[in-house]
Amino acid sequence: MTVKANNNYEQDMVGDGLHSLQKVIESHREEEKSVWKYILIGVCVLFLTVMLVIPLAVVIINALKDGWTAYKEAVVDRYTLKALQLTLVVTVLTVLVNTIFGVCASVLLSKFYFWGRQILAALIDIPFSVSPVIAGLLFILTFGNKGWMGGFLQQHNIKIVFAAPGIVLATMFVTFPFVFRELFPVMNAQGKDEEEAAALMRAGGFMIFRKITFPHIKWALLYGIILCTARAMGEFGAVSVVSGHLRGKTNTLPLHVEILYNEFHSTEAFAVSSILVILAVALLILRSFVEWKRK
Amino acid sequence: MEKKMMEETAAYVEMKHINKTFDGFQASRDVSFGVEKGRLASLLGPSGSGKTTILRMIAGLDRPDSGDIFINGARVNDIPGSKREIGFVFQNYALFRYMTVADNIAFGLKVQKKGKAEIKERVEELLELISMEDLKKRYPHQLSGGQRQRVAFARALAPNPQILLLDEPFAAIDAKVRRELRAWLREMIRRVGITSVFVTHDQEEAMEVADTVIVINQGQIEQMGTPEEICGQPQTEFVRAFFDIKRDLWHKK
Amino acid sequence: MKKKMVWILSLSLCLLMGCGKGSGSEAGQDGDRELLNVSYDPTREFYTQYNELFCAHWKAEMGQELTVTQSHGGSGSQARSVIEGNEADVVTLALAHDITAIEEAELIDEGWMEEFENDSSPYVSTIVFLVRKGNEKNIQDWDDLVRDDVEIITPNPKTSGGACWNFLAAWAYGQRQNGNDEEATRLFMKKLYQNVLVLDSGARGATNTFVENAQGDVLIAWENEAYLSMREHPDEYEIVAPSISILAQPSVAVVDSNAKMHGMEELAHEYLAYLYCDEAQRLAGENYYRPSNEKILQEFSDQFDLNMNLVSIDDFGGWDEAFKTYFDDGAVFDQIYAE
Repeated sequence: MTVKANNNYEQDMVGDGLHSLQKVIESHREEEKSVWKYILIGVCVLFLTVMLVIPLAVVIINALKDGWTAYKEAVVDRYTLKALQLTLVVTVLTVLVNTIFGVCASVLLSKFYFWGRQILAALIDIPFSVSPVIAGLLFILTFGNKGWMGGFLQQHNIKIVFAAPGIVLATMFVTFPFVFRELFPVMNAQGKDEEEAAALMRAGGFMIFRKITFPHIKWALLYGIILCTARAMGEFGAVSVVSGHLRGKTNTLPLHVEILYNEFHSTEAFAVSSILVILAVALLILRSFVEWKRK
Repeated sequence: MEKKMMEETAAYVEMKHINKTFDGFQASRDVSFGVEKGRLASLLGPSGSGKTTILRMIAGLDRPDSGDIFINGARVNDIPGSKREIGFVFQNYALFRYMTVADNIAFGLKVQKKGKAEIKERVEELLELISMEDLKKRYPHQLSGGQRQRVAFARALAPNPQILLLDEPFAAIDAKVRRELRAWLREMIRRVGITSVFVTHDQEEAMEVADTVIVINQGQIEQMGTPEEICGQPQTEFVRAFFDIKRDLWHKK
Repeated sequence: MKKKMVWILSLSLCLLMGCGKGSGSEAGQDGDRELLNVSYDPTREFYTQYNELFCAHWKAEMGQELTVTQSHGGSGSQARSVIEGNEADVVTLALAHDITAIEEAELIDEGWMEEFENDSSPYVSTIVFLVRKGNEKNIQDWDDLVRDDVEIITPNPKTSGGACWNFLAAWAYGQRQNGNDEEATRLFMKKLYQNVLVLDSGARGATNTFVENAQGDVLIAWENEAYLSMREHPDEYEIVAPSISILAQPSVAVVDSNAKMHGMEELAHEYLAYLYCDEAQRLAGENYYRPSNEKILQEFSDQFDLNMNLVSIDDFGGWDEAFKTYFDDGAVFDQIYAE
């Protein structure tokens, strides 16, 4: 019995030892996890600071470098206001059209099966992979005087490139996939069952969309619209190519910033940039709100 | 109620020489059967046997390549599903997740543009039938599997359809609740008196619930009859093998 | 509710668009008229002032309110945009060749160069070096540009008119130094372009790179750009005039087909003709362009180095010849730069 007790004791010792060792390893892992957590946080914060916070701060500081009056003057300058108007008009039109298209395309591709479904989905993604400058060139090659639609447009005195419609089209092209990309995964995951059930009960297409599909995609739709808006407001490359840079006419806010900068009016350029920054921040806040609501 | 052999009465739902092919795969092969008015029939068979295909063709969700479908004597091949007055209970219930229980049940009536009072009355009636009056403001995600099934059932019945079709109604229910639900469904359908067809792969289920069992294999009907007939007098090798295990169970009843 | 919102939004948009688009150089009414001047990069400040001058003149003469819309960019790009449909009434570009391109697109009638004095160049300029104050690298002439320790900023001749003048000025030097030996000159040019740090697409872009972004040791620039930079940033830069340079002649022309379409022929012609009047010439001088009017030019003798050794485009056989030899696809510049 004593032997047994001894054995037990030893076993207990070993057991205890193992147990303590295990605890040490676990707490070490916990520490490691904490360490890694802080490293990751550090990297993220650093990245954000360098890529986001500092440039934004530079814009604001430079915008106010010459004082508040100068800032105000730059912002309410006639050309700035015209550029702002154009940017807003283009953005609203773009978002409207792309939203309608995005919804239709999502419904089509997620609820109906037909040959070429995958191809269509891939085609919709093309603007993502095409450089905006190329997009702009595409429009020149199509609607310019030497483009293949040029003759027709000239005959009927329709101006597309080097005028506002060209800018709207170019912006629509580059922001094409945004709404679709947000809606499609959601609708695809939803499946067809609920719609089929409703259809069997004689609900019409629009009623089905309104009562069954739409409540499901509400937040994804809003999110897609916000992304589309942000992108449309800031678009530069494609618009630059088709714009013609007519002061007061075909300059969007980003283009106007470039012009100001090129005229050695860098403070004014920063001042106008700050408008874009403010709009972007407003959208960001809206987006956070939407995400929060989503949960 | 006595379980009779299938009589030569004018069947309420009838399929005649139905064939259906999907992408080269023949899902239905010369299928012909009839279900009497007020009867509860079961399409029974293993996975892939084509039973859901038949159900969907009755519902109008798919079209047969050849053959005729009759409902109450009328040929309905060219009538779209929504106009056939069918109540359909999907395998996963397909409840409208953004509507309350009451709204789900009321949906079919709202589509038909019935009056508010009428809708309210009917919804109350059905809620009582399925014993879920106090849950009418709940949303589907707040219900258990069994509760969802009952709501799906009520929703299908609300617009007073001619036929009730159920696609593996108990597949998503856990075993414990299944038995209760089976009994409940049988009772409900009896009470309402509606001609019903349901699809299942569970032999026991078919035996317990249906008046008429139609055994399907590889797109063809193997045998059709009352549960006793199927079990006691299997007419094909498949039926015999399919029911081998269950035979003892049945006899023990 | 949502549907109504959508309708209201789209309607108000159409209204907005209508208001915004209602303009464009349209013919017809006496009242507000609009002229579109498509110009090249560095002329922004000059034309802002000239347009004020001309509009006042036009109002006094004809009693019409006039707005001039400006567009600026690289000369080549601007010419291309006019060809593709940018409805300029007049073009005021960096070199005759760009205008010839528009002529070939049948938008400008033949003989445009003779329409105005001095081969339709109301103001001229030349090519100089802009260096940082103190000229630490002691850059005095073209041969300093090919030193190993020197970084150059100059725009791309494929898109910038100014860059073409830069190239030809450098070539002129190379030729003179190497006794017309083409091979040696090419080698010189190659070394020069190897020292280029940033090849911007336009003259103003290059200026910005040098001035705002503080890149490079020397900017090969239009003389007027150089002076402008000095004015904007006093005491930070110096101008060095090389031993040989080129007479850079920016040209102007009425875009006949557009002007006809807008009913602006008379207005457009007068707009360009007025550039030659004394006031306008003085304005050009104040903006650091050398007035083509000899008398007025003398008024700026303390501003411009009038004794510079300048070759001209004619020494290269005219622009058509020069373009084909040096700037066309696969021509000398491409060959030099590609290696």
